[in-house]
Amino acid sequence: MKILAIFFLFIQSQLLLAQTNIQGVVKGQSGETIPGVNIFLKGTYEGVSSEIDGSYKLETTLTGEYILVFQAMGYNSLEKEISLQGESLVLEVTLREAINEMTAVTISAGAMEASDEKKAVVLKPIDIVTVPSAMGDIIGAFQTLPGTANVGNDGRLFVRGGDASETAIFIDGMKVANAFGTTASNVPTRTRFNPNLFKGSFFSTGGYSAEYGQTLSSALALNTVDIPLRNQGDLSIMSVGGGFAQTLTSEKNSITASANYFDLSPYQGLIRQNFDWERAPFGWDAEIAAKQKWGKSGMIKAYVHTESSGMKIWTKQPDSEGRGQLVDINNKYTFAQSSFKQIGKNDWSYYGGFSYSNNIDDFKIAADEIRNQNKLFHGKMAAVKSFSDKFSIKTGLESYFIRYSEQLISQDLKREIVDNQYNLFTEADYYLSNKLVFRGGLRSGHSSLANQTWLDPRFSLAYKFENEGQVSLAAGTFNQMPLEELRIINPTLQNTKAEHLILNYFINKNGRTIRAEAFYKGYNNLITFEGQRFNYQKIEQTGEGFAQGFDIFYRDQKSIKNTDFWITYSFVDSKRQFARFTEMVQPSFAPRQNASVVVKHFVGKLKSQFGTSFSINDGYTYHNPNLPGQMNSKTRSFQDMSVSWSYLPKPNLIIHLACSNILGRENVFGYQFSEQANDNGIYEGRPIGMQAPRFLFLGIFITLSKDKTANQLNNL
Amino acid sequence: MKKINSIIAILFLSISISFANEEYQAAMLKEIQVMNQAGPASDLQKSANSFARIAQMNPEEWLPHYYAGLALANASFRSQEGAAEKDVLLEEAKKHVAKAAAISSNNSEIVALDGYITMAELAIDPASRGQYLSPLAMQKFGKAVDLNRKNPRAIMMLGQMELGMAEFFGTGPAKGCGLITASLELFEKEAESKNPNEILPSWGKEMAEQIKTNCN
Repeated sequence: MKILAIFFLFIQSQLLLAQTNIQGVVKGQSGETIPGVNIFLKGTYEGVSSEIDGSYKLETTLTGEYILVFQAMGYNSLEKEISLQGESLVLEVTLREAINEMTAVTISAGAMEASDEKKAVVLKPIDIVTVPSAMGDIIGAFQTLPGTANVGNDGRLFVRGGDASETAIFIDGMKVANAFGTTASNVPTRTRFNPNLFKGSFFSTGGYSAEYGQTLSSALALNTVDIPLRNQGDLSIMSVGGGFAQTLTSEKNSITASANYFDLSPYQGLIRQNFDWERAPFGWDAEIAAKQKWGKSGMIKAYVHTESSGMKIWTKQPDSEGRGQLVDINNKYTFAQSSFKQIGKNDWSYYGGFSYSNNIDDFKIAADEIRNQNKLFHGKMAAVKSFSDKFSIKTGLESYFIRYSEQLISQDLKREIVDNQYNLFTEADYYLSNKLVFRGGLRSGHSSLANQTWLDPRFSLAYKFENEGQVSLAAGTFNQMPLEELRIINPTLQNTKAEHLILNYFINKNGRTIRAEAFYKGYNNLITFEGQRFNYQKIEQTGEGFAQGFDIFYRDQKSIKNTDFWITYSFVDSKRQFARFTEMVQPSFAPRQNASVVVKHFVGKLKSQFGTSFSINDGYTYHNPNLPGQMNSKTRSFQDMSVSWSYLPKPNLIIHLACSNILGRENVFGYQFSEQANDNGIYEGRPIGMQAPRFLFLGIFITLSKDKTANQLNNL
Repeated sequence: MKKINSIIAILFLSISISFANEEYQAAMLKEIQVMNQAGPASDLQKSANSFARIAQMNPEEWLPHYYAGLALANASFRSQEGAAEKDVLLEEAKKHVAKAAAISSNNSEIVALDGYITMAELAIDPASRGQYLSPLAMQKFGKAVDLNRKNPRAIMMLGQMELGMAEFFGTGPAKGCGLITASLELFEKEAESKNPNEILPSWGKEMAEQIKTNCN
């Protein structure tokens, strides 16, 4: 035993004698010195950190073969086998930069992202619901962003000279059909979905990823919230209706059920309307959203939304006296979806899901009873493989099943189309460094009804400068089947086509964001026809067109205390031959100049946020049959100034008051002309105006929760 | 003979285990002291490196990751650099918290530290992050208190969030200050019963006293 102890001491002293110094400087690839590098001998406590100048000195009494590890944030770790023999070692090492999701360049061409989690975003989700002119409609807020046109008599999203059908909407990656409520012509509509459902959005005005298809101009991807923070009940009482939502959560899952009812009759009884309503719009909706965590990193979501709404309106006819024609609309709509994401082994990850949309419109116009039904089923499965932090490939398979029917109930006539579409997409991202990224994608599709197969290549790249600014370029081709109401008459119609070229500059620094973008979009195979809806004739696909221009966005949260504002200017030069036009014209939905300003100011003492938004354009084109040529006239400039006041007297109570068009400007969106000239040879026209000079909204939002500080904005 | 051999073997093994444990304790104690003396953010980053080294030697221990995360969160508070650099520190801190939580689940101290990191993220840009992150921090502190009603750090930070809320809504500081007072009592108790060689978290008293000055 004694001998053993002596032996042990001897070894110890041997070890003490053999001291090795390891030193050097740690640098990055571009020669910069790296401070704070963790340098240690693997499997021991021996280690040091590098100094400000990147130098290090590690003294150790260990001998033998070891692995020396260099670890630094933002760099790939490096391991070096070394032999400690009591002699000094000099090791100069160079660490390779790691691609950092947060700081690396992102492709911002065409894209505007709203998210809390990512840093390079244009907006936060909360900014969207607090835009005064939006009146709580998510699309209303997007209409203040660059590249969009405010078409006040429609309400949908019009992007860069494209019509509303050229924007596709996705929820958690799954396509939503009929995302907007059914409405009568010239009565603006809204999205069916409550903005509180979403934690973020990705709005692209062109050049988007191969993951998105069947959309010519724009893709809007909305992402729903994950597990909400707490159990709570949300009561809303509004000037147009009310609703209640209850949320139950646990660590692993949550469920939210809500029901809402609206009826504009009382409101319209109080405030004079320009339109001749027989029955003001009314409706209800109910929805359930469930979330379940799956394993360590996976998530499954399910969402069902169902609603019913209606309205009756007298539409004046230009060439007749009296109230005109009574249009009675009833709509039933269901949207159901489920999506999942999961991280697998070996740097694979998976996501996918399915969605089902079913829309039934019942129209009663004069003696005719018409029923249109549109069903869409969308299934998607995608896998992403990261080969390294620099290179990844995404591949996915999608199928769409579309069934559309039109029924003339009064005459017992029905027609229907069914289309199956299959898509395969693949996309590779390659980061040359944190500063430069390339993306190439390919999307293929096949439609059974059109018996057409197509291929869309997409390409983009982005480069980040030293000052955080970045420039990106995107190009690609896009295919979209014509509207179902046209395909039902001519089922062999092929895809309409667009090609995009986009150059973007983006910088987000110190609370200020500048985004400038120039674009060119070409259109081909556009549909032209004669006649009216349900009775289109001479449908041809020889139309073409273009849209070109630029837009600028500036947002500032720093310069004025407690104030956030953004300014948008979009210039679009667009002409196309489409619909009933026999030559290229500027479409009514593509005003050349659009601008908007949104300002929000928070006053702590009053616990209030005051907001105002102003939108202006240079007028809508319209066709005046009394003048030569097509689309030969333009309305006066559209202008709207909206104001809002949000008051938080208590943490769980929000009172929101908003008013659109406070200046009472009489906006005109176009003119409707009689079919026949009168006795003097003049076609009589009536202006298409606004529903009412102003829209007033008052909402009281109460949150019931054990946590008294909870309010309905927490979900955003 | 065989028996003796095996006894020696077992003895040797247990000695080496306790030796390893002592080495761990000693290393932790030393690094906690170094961290408490740390000056600028770069010192704290070095401390975090030291704790990360201890963590790689002791994969079953949550405390090295806990302190690495704490050092990085404090480095972010002290850093003079921009938002991007601070976010990098906090991303690293979050990784350590996730590792600590994987070793010791439902640990009040780890959940409170997680909330502390959220508070650090919020502090980088309160104007644009406040709305989203303050309820998240609040929730984490609430959970930490639920897990251990005697955790002075969790109670102090919950109190601080309450005070922020009260200031915003003008509801008066009574609730927040009550929590701060409660946390100070718990800090006293913690200090009394503390063994000088204790490596469990015991920081935060000075911070509570600092906050308390706003209550008078």
